[in-house]
Amino acid sequence: MTATLPLSDHLPPRSVFATAMRRVFGHHGLMLGGIILVLVALVAIFAPLLAPHDPYAQNLSRRLIPPIWHAKGTWEHVLGTDKLGRDYLSRLIYGSRLSLIIGLSATVISGLIGTTLGVLAGYFGGRTDAVINYLITTRLAMPVVLVALAVASLVGGSLQVVILVLGFLLWDRFAVVTRSATMQVCHGDYIAAAQAIGCSTTRILLSELLPNILNALIVVATLEMAHAILLEATLSFLGLGVPPPAPSWGLMIAEGKQYMFFSPWVIAIPGVTLLILVLAINLVGDGIRDATAPENRN
Amino acid sequence: MITRGLLALGVAIVALVPAAAMAGKADDTLVYASDSEPENVSPYHNNLREGVILSRHAWDTLVYADPADGKYKPYLATSWTWVDPKTLDVELRRGVKFHNGDTLTADDVVFTFNYVQKPESKVVTKQNVDWIKSAEKLDDYKVRIHLKEAFPAALEYLSGPTPIYPAKYFQQVGLEGFSKAPVGSGPYRITAVASGKGVKLERFDGYFADSPIPKPKIGKLEFRIMPDSESRVAALMTGAIDWTWRVPHDQAMAMKSAPGISVLSAESMRIGYVAFDSRGTSSANSPFKDLRVRQAVAMAIDRKSMVDNLVGGGSNVMHAACFPSQTGCDQNAVTKYEYNPKKAKELLAAAGYPQGFKTEIQAYRERDYAEAMVGYLKAVGIDAKLNFLKYAAMRENLRAGTVPLVFNTWGSFSVNDASASTGVYFKGGEDDTSKDPEVIKTLTEADATVDPEKRLALYRTALKRISDEVYWLPLFSYSTDYVSTDKLQFQAFPDELPRFYMSSWK
Repeated sequence: MTATLPLSDHLPPRSVFATAMRRVFGHHGLMLGGIILVLVALVAIFAPLLAPHDPYAQNLSRRLIPPIWHAKGTWEHVLGTDKLGRDYLSRLIYGSRLSLIIGLSATVISGLIGTTLGVLAGYFGGRTDAVINYLITTRLAMPVVLVALAVASLVGGSLQVVILVLGFLLWDRFAVVTRSATMQVCHGDYIAAAQAIGCSTTRILLSELLPNILNALIVVATLEMAHAILLEATLSFLGLGVPPPAPSWGLMIAEGKQYMFFSPWVIAIPGVTLLILVLAINLVGDGIRDATAPENRN
Repeated sequence: MITRGLLALGVAIVALVPAAAMAGKADDTLVYASDSEPENVSPYHNNLREGVILSRHAWDTLVYADPADGKYKPYLATSWTWVDPKTLDVELRRGVKFHNGDTLTADDVVFTFNYVQKPESKVVTKQNVDWIKSAEKLDDYKVRIHLKEAFPAALEYLSGPTPIYPAKYFQQVGLEGFSKAPVGSGPYRITAVASGKGVKLERFDGYFADSPIPKPKIGKLEFRIMPDSESRVAALMTGAIDWTWRVPHDQAMAMKSAPGISVLSAESMRIGYVAFDSRGTSSANSPFKDLRVRQAVAMAIDRKSMVDNLVGGGSNVMHAACFPSQTGCDQNAVTKYEYNPKKAKELLAAAGYPQGFKTEIQAYRERDYAEAMVGYLKAVGIDAKLNFLKYAAMRENLRAGTVPLVFNTWGSFSVNDASASTGVYFKGGEDDTSKDPEVIKTLTEADATVDPEKRLALYRTALKRISDEVYWLPLFSYSTDYVSTDKLQFQAFPDELPRFYMSSWK
């Protein structure tokens, strides 16, 4: 290996795109996470076509049927049924919609808030930075689950409330990361050049600065999306998230916990699904960081 | 195998919880757990079953209703005579001691019955006491009770929800002090009341010898509040508690095979029902003001299927707003609604809700049943948001009329007379959500009617009207699964009243 390394200096430079692709496809974690994520997204989009039953249709005479790998399982309900006789697979499939919608929307809201604050703080510095730093510290001092619980119990849990609460609570990491990234980037020559030719601040921020901190943003976004999905499950588990009978995975775990002693699959199945989705999102985030990290570019 | 492994894991986790102090035979402490906490231990100041259990263990009543044969027997009263239909003379037992050493006299009975009549005493279920006008002391051991009207069910009430308080002590400490350190004359004395945790009791050694209640065999009782049924199951399996109930029926059946556990299923007097905001107090345009909407709900919920698959045991679909064994409760006199979602949708469309509507349902126990109902309502287009609350909070909402739909249950204080169920909820009192003048008039007349046939007929009329107007949707009677350690000798009674003073260790 060491003998071949110096040779690479003399090879013709590959295109940026080809290099990126090679890194992406060479990264097993990223590939695995990506495939799972795409699959979940497809399942969510085509839920009505894929789900064998109506996720809300209850049939009390067919409750707690075990999944197919149990001796008493049937092909009609591959993953069994829950305590009200609703098809578990269909609920899981529709539940992926809820998880993804909440994960994406909350991340977009918190991303917008956090990035705006972070970029402003990093670019202008001084008093702006002090104020925004104060906001970030204030936000960090609040325990997310506790605040979310308090808000949800005051105004009542619903999909919109969960999205808004999480969106307004999870922007701190965006702000911290973009602030320090902006500080590093804003002393670059191209920013000075843009300033010299008289570009407006908006233009500098949007088209010179932001693209250069995008990598860091994407990594934070994946982390926060996973975080939001888990928090939604937590809130729903505690009965203050998405209200029943919505097929939220967290709610499915909560509804199943009464039966966990004798029908363990009712919490195991949504639990494992949640684990896989969150793991996949984190793998993708890790992979993007690895693939785009500056030390790998040389 | 997997199930057993998980079970062991759950058991292991629970075993790590330090609070799970061992209970049971070894230290002669029967720890029993239930889901709800009475807001006040004083029996007149809560209407929860958990409170009734405490009441029957720490307090005595004048009359004893023998669960074995249903006959009224002397208790704190040695005899009673009706002077006329509105006057009852009671001869008191001598030598009965309260837990603080005071001797029971006529003063205590007179004080108790006069105190609960005062508005400032804030008795929760007024129906239990408001048939009494006043009590009068004839001599130290003789009391005359004046009734407002003739009340045929008087003895039934005197044997249940009307415990006798120690007058001197209560006046000294007031309700506040009494609820923290209650004193009664019952077979057990309350030694500690911990808000949010539970109540501790100890056998009362000074208990009067000729009580119809046998001397308790178990030395100490401890009532523990554990809202989650799965934590109660886990605690029972690890031996942290000895007795519990209100476990999902199929879980209870599955627990039969678990080692060291014994399961006893018995019918109970408890009924479940849905109350509608039929007067539109929750919002001016509440859909439930429309009879057709209430009928639609009655047809949308498959009560038979809930009984067969969820409630299980010996439960039955209910049609009248009372329990069948109660005097005056005629299930056949009322209009019955069969499960018919198609008809329900038509009724909703006719009422102006072809697309259904959004509403709210509140509940305090058996989340499964509430969720099943939410599912049935959704199937006909009614989007009911489930709000699960503590009992006292839900009851206050019900009384204030702020909720469109309430899933409630009622055990009638184990009083075997329809006045204890229908009377509580339809006679115009605080718990009456419909306040129908016609029903109120009929029921008031019924309760004061001595002639049994006439009284039954009046009840039939009232129950018929309630079902015609669907002020309530009676759901089903409850079958209770009592789950306990197999070292406990426990007998169940249909009035849903665990009598721990009759229990013993095997």
